[in-house]
Amino acid sequence: MALMITSDCINCDVCVPECPNEAITQGDDIYIIDPAKCTECVGHFDESQCIEVCPVDCILVDPNHTESKDQLQAKYQSLTGG
Amino acid sequence: MMTDMTVATPIQALTKKDFESGLDVRWCPGCGDYAVLSQITKLMPKLGIPRENYAFVSGIGCSSRFPYYVNTYGLHTIHGRAPAIASGLKLARPELSVWVVTGDGDALAIGGNHFIHAVRRNIGLKIILLNNRIYGLTKGQYSPTSELGKKTKTSPLGNIDQPFSPVALALGAGATFAARAIDSDQAMMAAILERAAKHEGTAFVEILQNCVVFNDGAFDMLSDKTMRDDTRLMMEHGKPLIFGKERNKGIRLRGMDMEVVTIGENGVTAADILVHDENAAHSGLAFSLGQFESPDFPVPFGVFRDVDKPSYESLSKQLAESARAAKGRGDLQRLLNSGETWTIE
Repeated sequence: MALMITSDCINCDVCVPECPNEAITQGDDIYIIDPAKCTECVGHFDESQCIEVCPVDCILVDPNHTESKDQLQAKYQSLTGG
Repeated sequence: MMTDMTVATPIQALTKKDFESGLDVRWCPGCGDYAVLSQITKLMPKLGIPRENYAFVSGIGCSSRFPYYVNTYGLHTIHGRAPAIASGLKLARPELSVWVVTGDGDALAIGGNHFIHAVRRNIGLKIILLNNRIYGLTKGQYSPTSELGKKTKTSPLGNIDQPFSPVALALGAGATFAARAIDSDQAMMAAILERAAKHEGTAFVEILQNCVVFNDGAFDMLSDKTMRDDTRLMMEHGKPLIFGKERNKGIRLRGMDMEVVTIGENGVTAADILVHDENAAHSGLAFSLGQFESPDFPVPFGVFRDVDKPSYESLSKQLAESARAAKGRGDLQRLLNSGETWTIE
């Protein structure tokens, strides 16, 4: 499952440098996560880094992009060419 | 022949992006100031004011970097003096929407005097005070809003200075509009900023703002979604002051004082709960609410007071017009040479 940023986002920019997949960018209104690039940090870290650092807890699992851990691992491998 | 060379962007076509300067924002990642910037740039296109008619004035501090990040006119001025400079600007150009962005140090310590006098005059400024209860830019000394007992670099054994409530201070100075919001609640902040923007006279808004580096977690009790219903009091005009997860706690008047009561206990009913009145002629009740502090009381959010009084700039204009009507246009040279002037030979 990819992660998503809710409207509680305060646009503080803290998550962008933490994302190992470079999946987070500034949208028109709030920051957004590209589900094609988000592995929930599978392959990189044990915990989702953006969720760890978000000061307002506005990052959740995206119910529209449900993926298993294996699928996330496969996504990680295709992204990193590993 | 006079030719108007300026072509203004149609107001209705402006978006949030038009009000962002695009400069690299230098606040720490995670800072609550970003939330305020986001909500103000979101609000500006909605107000129907041309971009060239906005001005942001600031003093010194993290909050005071604000003018760089909005694509409007702006001045990053002297520590604590933003209300004075903004007052001059508003008087000279009353058609501008003039905003002061300040902090607990800038507005209440070095700038305390300028702050109370701007508020007292009811001059048409929007004063947005970002309160993080610490000196962030200078790396962590206690501020005029730091709580008692707080250990900081300059209070290693605990702070013994009584903190200000910025809202109570503004109300004491005669604020015609005083409100409080928090960086972690976007909908609440948006609604309050919009009302402040539309207020005639001084509109004061305190925004509780988390400093992730030097005072992280200062407002966790008020931001945490599992706790905030019990720790916050959301004030709405004409509605009873009720709070709590179960919506069964409320504020009751006891003589001239206020107390927290539970509806359904000790004979307390919903009818006993004080009804919030933003428009009360005297600010006594709002002042009491402004002094509420955790954990004994819930922390009130929303508009404490909103009353109509003539703005300073409108009174100043009337004064000038009546003087002109009575005496005609002034002549500066004649004035300088009049009265007690003499020539040294």
